[in-house]
Amino acid sequence: MSDLDTNLATLTARFRDAVATATDARALDEARVAFLGRSGALTEVRKGIGKLPPAERPGAGKIINEAAAALEAELGAALARVENAALTSSLEDTIDVTLPGPPATFGAIHPVRRVAIDVARYFTRHGFAVVLGPEIETDANNFDALNIPPDHPAREGLDSFYLRPDLVLRTHTSPMQVRAMREHGPPIAIIVPGKAYRRDANDARHLFMFHQVEGLMVGRGIHFGHLKGMLVGMCRELFGPAADVRFRPSFFPFTEPSAEIDVKCPGCQGTGAVAAVQCRTCGGSGWIELGGSGMVHPNVLRSVGYDPDEVTGWAFGCGLERIAMKRHDINDIRAFIENVPGFAEGLA
Amino acid sequence: MRVPIAWLRDYADLPADANAIVARLAALGFPVDDVELRPQLTNVVAGRIVKLERHPNADRLQLCTIDIGAGTTLLIATAATNVADGQTVPVARIGAALAGGLTIAPRKMRGIDSEGMLISAEEIGLPAEWFEDGIMQLEPSIPLGTDLVAHFRLGEPVLDVDVTPNRPDCLSVVGLARELAASFGVELREPPVYVQYEEGGDDARVTIETVDCKRFVYQRVSGLRVRPAPSWMRVRLALAGQRPLNNVVDISNFVMLELGQPLHFFDWDHVAGKHLVVRDARDGEPFTTLDGQTRTLDARAIVIADDEGPTSIAGIMGGQRSEVEPKTGEVLIEAANWTGPRIRRASVALKLRTEASSRFEKSLPLALADLGAARAAALLADEGGSVAMPHAAGMPATAPAAVTLRASEVERLLGFAPSAEEIERALSSLGFAVSREHDAFAVTPPYWRGDVAIAADLVEEVARVIGYDRVRAETPAVAPQAIGSFAFDRETELAVTLAGLGYTEVLSLSLQPGSVAETWRAAGIAIEQPVEIANPLSEDQRWMRFAIAPALLEFAARDRAVRPYRRFELGRVFAQASPDPRESVHLSALHAGGASAFGRLSSDVQALLRRITGLDPRVERGTFPGLHPGKTAALYAGETLAGYAGVVDPRLARAYHVEATTALATLFVEALPRYQMPTYVAPSKFPPADRDLAVAVPERVLSGELVAAVREEPLVRSATVFDEYRGPQVGAGKKSLALRIVLQSDETTLTDEAADAALARIVATLGERFGAQQRT
Repeated sequence: MSDLDTNLATLTARFRDAVATATDARALDEARVAFLGRSGALTEVRKGIGKLPPAERPGAGKIINEAAAALEAELGAALARVENAALTSSLEDTIDVTLPGPPATFGAIHPVRRVAIDVARYFTRHGFAVVLGPEIETDANNFDALNIPPDHPAREGLDSFYLRPDLVLRTHTSPMQVRAMREHGPPIAIIVPGKAYRRDANDARHLFMFHQVEGLMVGRGIHFGHLKGMLVGMCRELFGPAADVRFRPSFFPFTEPSAEIDVKCPGCQGTGAVAAVQCRTCGGSGWIELGGSGMVHPNVLRSVGYDPDEVTGWAFGCGLERIAMKRHDINDIRAFIENVPGFAEGLA
Repeated sequence: MRVPIAWLRDYADLPADANAIVARLAALGFPVDDVELRPQLTNVVAGRIVKLERHPNADRLQLCTIDIGAGTTLLIATAATNVADGQTVPVARIGAALAGGLTIAPRKMRGIDSEGMLISAEEIGLPAEWFEDGIMQLEPSIPLGTDLVAHFRLGEPVLDVDVTPNRPDCLSVVGLARELAASFGVELREPPVYVQYEEGGDDARVTIETVDCKRFVYQRVSGLRVRPAPSWMRVRLALAGQRPLNNVVDISNFVMLELGQPLHFFDWDHVAGKHLVVRDARDGEPFTTLDGQTRTLDARAIVIADDEGPTSIAGIMGGQRSEVEPKTGEVLIEAANWTGPRIRRASVALKLRTEASSRFEKSLPLALADLGAARAAALLADEGGSVAMPHAAGMPATAPAAVTLRASEVERLLGFAPSAEEIERALSSLGFAVSREHDAFAVTPPYWRGDVAIAADLVEEVARVIGYDRVRAETPAVAPQAIGSFAFDRETELAVTLAGLGYTEVLSLSLQPGSVAETWRAAGIAIEQPVEIANPLSEDQRWMRFAIAPALLEFAARDRAVRPYRRFELGRVFAQASPDPRESVHLSALHAGGASAFGRLSSDVQALLRRITGLDPRVERGTFPGLHPGKTAALYAGETLAGYAGVVDPRLARAYHVEATTALATLFVEALPRYQMPTYVAPSKFPPADRDLAVAVPERVLSGELVAAVREEPLVRSATVFDEYRGPQVGAGKKSLALRIVLQSDETTLTDEAADAALARIVATLGERFGAQQRT
């Protein structure tokens, strides 16, 4: 065995000792510097080449290079080993996952807006447009055009806030029907979410300012069944896939035939009871009143320049607070305007 | 309307199950708001007092021997004082269950077995104060032993039925019975109106001087004796919520509830001149109504006057002067018809709404007046009255005009096609006269259906009878349309984005008390003239909100335990303008608490604007009501003034008790430009170079102006202020602003020399424009 071989063998043995005892990447790096570095042990061996006879030098250089490559490979493997060991042991680490960080800054939209958005999403998916309108209306739009004659009780200031004899805070979102139909010929398919006002005192069931969503569809061949279809879909969007809708005859000056809309109670699924106790959401009837609807009265169509012999249409109106109350099991409508901290956030 | 099922059954054989009746009424368009269950009574029979004697052991008790028919007599002790030989009375037998949970068991009363109890109206569940003191009195015509629970149908619930204003005919028991009979397919038994008229004695004269009296039927009835009405009538009235008074008054109330026609009976002896004039009331005319109140009339009311002046307010309430009294022997029946709106206006003016006015104001059918008078006459005749011929003034009662209904119209509106036979049957069952002509029907509504005038009305009638459940749900195909949802979509995006930035949406009332504007004005803040409500219910509703900020400040003060406090509201605000009030959509946000409320809010609102408009907002100094004049940023999106953000005006902060650092922002939602699609800029392939630059500038220089100037250098990719310093090191009247500037070229890797040269150009520009001195 030549000196070179001996030196390399010794060096390799020492290197392997150092690598084997290394438990972290730093110790391995120290080993790399000590043996393979610029002024490391291998370099010392390499310097010995110069003392060899010229004929042996290329062979020796090759041997040293091969040894260096082998050591590098061992070092790489060792590095992978300690890194894997460190990862494996880090899997044992735990933190207190219940410890909160800095609070998230996330607000919430109001639950009434949430209802409006959900209703709008459903109707726009079916090609309806969502339009908004003014809250101060002419009494002509709020009443006359909707077939509510001058003698109607609502017009004598019993139920309506007046600004002037000819200006009223809209008592429903329906006047926007009139505006939209005057502006656009049939066919038309819109919904109108927004505020409405009734001259009333606030109590657990009434606010003098509340929100409605109005729906209107007019065109050739539009009938009551289309209204039912859209409302069933809307209620499934709002209350889940089991929701169902029924109509009851009613009276509104601007529709004929007219119907009250009932939706199967989301609290008891129409059974009237929850765990043998009368359902709180519907009061035991199994149904919840959602709003009014009907086929647009021919006089309303005429008032906006549509021909009731050519086109038919339907309209409906629902209270948004009412829907939100049923969704969230809220018993007092005043909760919506109290804005107690956490209210909207808790329902978002 | 309060409708006892017991009374409904007088006119139709309805299902035994009250729930079936309730459900059917709802399906017909008459939802039942409340079902009042009645006490379940047993063992109450009619008996006659055949012998009355003192109780041997008790002064205050009497012993009654009661014949309850079929040869049975009972010995019953009673403490009642209104008992007498020969009376027919209700008897609770041993084992009876009575109202209030009372049960009758065998018991000794002072040593004598009492075999039951004589009972009062209270024990059968009727208000004691509406009936005689003591034992209830029945008519001798009731057979002894009659089961009174069945006789009066005392166990049947009383319904509170919601009647829509187009159906005044159903503000009556017969009207609802008619609907139910049609729906259940059973016969309607109309109440008898036959009466034998007396000749002569007919000296009444009526003159009509107002067009709002459409018909006036009058009829004299003499020979009356005022006493309690028969028990069947008193029980029905009491169940319906109407207090029985005496036979004559009760008949007028009974006919109103039964048929829906309000009546008035004048005590004929107290009608001066035997001549009634129907005329407009005179302004200031005083009048004492039969409730004893003296009211001042005006020309909105109609009165019925005799020679001494008004003696009744038409359609609303009679007068004390001609009221039926215990000694009344002769009455004039008035069954009139008035223009509905006129009665309502008069009733509103007098603040007097009665059972009569609430019916008349809905415009009753003319023919009902004749029917009501005839029914009252028949009942008064039963009470021994002699009935004179009826007379009528005003318009004749004509039948409503025929309406044409094509079968195809039913399908056009409902989406399904009932057969011609179904249509015909449905309408006929409701009293419509139907004749078929090919594919069309000529339909004549009955007199009580003045609300039916067009084909669509008939379609509703058809649907009501065959059931709204027949309507099939279909999804319509919507044609593409020109109308868009822009405004709603933008409001939604604003609200959802701001919520994501940590702000919670609130909802405040758009009507508010005058104190809100006063608070702002008292703080020295100029606001536009708010819009006033002409007829608020209370002062809290008199003014429309001029801004959203007041509500946000109130919430911030109320919730002062919650900090940082971030709230917003998106809605309309109002200002007086000419010719019409103006409304605009505002989004206002508030940030209270935390180290730099203004900075946070300003950044958030700018981020919101960028998101909504696609434009980088520009910030300038500005002023806005409610914001500190020196601490307000005007926010621009492109060239459009988008809104303001600032620190609350300190005078308001004090008035509302919020922190002086509270920040407020308002965006003018309708003014915001539509989203501008940003153009893609390819990133440079060459590395950027960062440079920090600190400059001392006069205090008035805005960092925004400085940044804008820095960005004029073409190599600048971004410039951000990261520190502002005031103090001795920069000297008085100056401040130091530190900027991080990122430089980058699209063509080459920037050398240090090129970056430094660019920085030097920037320093030169800032020096020239703002007198800025670089600090090292």
